[in-house]
Amino acid sequence: MKLAYYPGCVAQESGRELDMATRFVCRALEIELVEFPKFSCCGSGFVDEANEVLNVAINARNLAIAEAAGLDLMTICSTCQGMLSLAKLRMTDPAVRAKVDGALRPIGITYRGSSRVTHLLRVLVEDVGLPAIRQKVRRPLAGLKVGAFYGCHLLRPSDELRWESPEEPHAFEDLLAALGAEPVLYRGRVLCCGFPVQFVKPETAGRIAGHQILDARQHGAQAMATPCPLCHISLDAYQAPAAKLVGQPLDMPVFHLPQLVGLALGATPEELGLSRHLVPTEPVLARVPPAAR
Amino acid sequence: MAVDTVHVPLEVYRFQPGTDPAPSFRRYELDLAPHTPVLSALLRIRAETDPTLSLRYSCRSAICGSCAMRINAKSRLACETPVGPEIERHGRIVVEPMANQPVVRDLVVDQSPFWRDYRSIEPHLKLDPYHPMPEGKPNPMTPAEVARFHDTPRCISCAACYSACPAVAADPAFPGPMALAKLYRFVVDPRDAAHQDRLVRIQTEGLWLCLRCHLCTEACPKDVRPSERIRDLKEMAIAAQGATERGSRHAVAFAENLRGAGLLNETKLVRQTFGVLGTLPQLPHGIKIWRKKPEVAHRPRPIEGREELEQIYRALGPEGGR
Repeated sequence: MKLAYYPGCVAQESGRELDMATRFVCRALEIELVEFPKFSCCGSGFVDEANEVLNVAINARNLAIAEAAGLDLMTICSTCQGMLSLAKLRMTDPAVRAKVDGALRPIGITYRGSSRVTHLLRVLVEDVGLPAIRQKVRRPLAGLKVGAFYGCHLLRPSDELRWESPEEPHAFEDLLAALGAEPVLYRGRVLCCGFPVQFVKPETAGRIAGHQILDARQHGAQAMATPCPLCHISLDAYQAPAAKLVGQPLDMPVFHLPQLVGLALGATPEELGLSRHLVPTEPVLARVPPAAR
Repeated sequence: MAVDTVHVPLEVYRFQPGTDPAPSFRRYELDLAPHTPVLSALLRIRAETDPTLSLRYSCRSAICGSCAMRINAKSRLACETPVGPEIERHGRIVVEPMANQPVVRDLVVDQSPFWRDYRSIEPHLKLDPYHPMPEGKPNPMTPAEVARFHDTPRCISCAACYSACPAVAADPAFPGPMALAKLYRFVVDPRDAAHQDRLVRIQTEGLWLCLRCHLCTEACPKDVRPSERIRDLKEMAIAAQGATERGSRHAVAFAENLRGAGLLNETKLVRQTFGVLGTLPQLPHGIKIWRKKPEVAHRPRPIEGREELEQIYRALGPEGGR
């Protein structure tokens, strides 16, 4: 399988461990990632707030780059997934399309809308398939109770994204179970991490993140995992301020989705950049039996 | 024609503040046709089993907006939620009062916070005193003007969006999805003379606390799509007033930041949004993050084809997109 790899901004900078883990997992599962140094940031929802048409145009350019290579595009971020998918949808509105085409034509870019936009989680569950992943598991995450945290833009607006139920999705939990982990169900798994207001009102963002972590813990989660690096920033990098805001100590390791897959496939913590987290992951990893030789 | 019935276990929230020490769930079991609305099930319980069950309802036709409650965690109208699919998905039906409003009794909530937030946006036309509406005559709108309302006039004020909203739960300064969808409706109304004032005011009164999680759009029984209208308000507020608040500054700064290298410069963004002095309180924790992730302080390597992006910006904004 060959895909245009859209890493997004965070995975190329402060969330580099996500990129490392993605590359490990894709190598192990024979997914060829084609890189395009021309890809720009997706606007992360903020450019959309400032100027909707500009945001669509930026992403139509990204999509056109993958189209020109005849490849489907794979994101590793719920927000990138949402922005690129919604840009594709907005481009079906003739008025928006005319404006965007008018900006792309002079720079020689033609958008056709022929590439699929997909996320690593979907590729693993829908394209690689859980049986194939199960076969390659070398270190089952036996007994590890993990709370999946989806990230809004992978699920909603559900009538536009048309994937899993926005209330009871199960792709992530199915994947966790295939890795040998025990998925934990809690309401917060489909809710917001607070990131969008991290820059507007950090204390509100922190309260929201803190509540989701508490919810996961109350339902028995020993760790959380997310397919979105922005959720990871809220839940991991800003967990300490969140703990102060909810008035409870928090000590919840938060993994990027491909880090857990990588661990189960036999990667070392170094290969997955686990030391780059703010909340240490070692206590949780100590519970998982080592890989079979 | 007889219809097969399904067995429906219902777990219904019961609480009488001042009398009960704590809320509890009471379980009822019914056999019902799968298309039976949850509201009909609750009314049957009240009629046949437990006359003390309190709930609010009126039209039973998804018009009055009275019977919003949380059914299997989702805020929605009980009168248009059939029991069959709920049982298929969950094996039971958990019924709770709406969130973000205090419970009066059982499934009835005190809607004062919801209506207070609604009143705060001044939900009435503010006509221009120098251009009064022609007396006794209609003031027609063009189809294009009507189209700008989108689906906001369909709102039935059921408060399902308010109940579903995590920003309402986290911050009392956020007026909620419905109030903002209604505000949008007045901002685009060609008869309203206060567009500018409304946009200026809402910038400081909660607009930028929306999390764009789209839970309101999922909850809305009338497809009003509040999250999308809130996005429209943000763009209109910036166009009307410029980036005066931290939220609008952040949106505009993000667009400018991305214009530089095509990828985000994280540290620069913090400075652009908070200003140099505003960054100071962020520093101690920022340093902790930097120790683990030194790249937060890196300048990203510019993308190839940066000039293409520049051309797109010149054609579409951020300053002149619309």
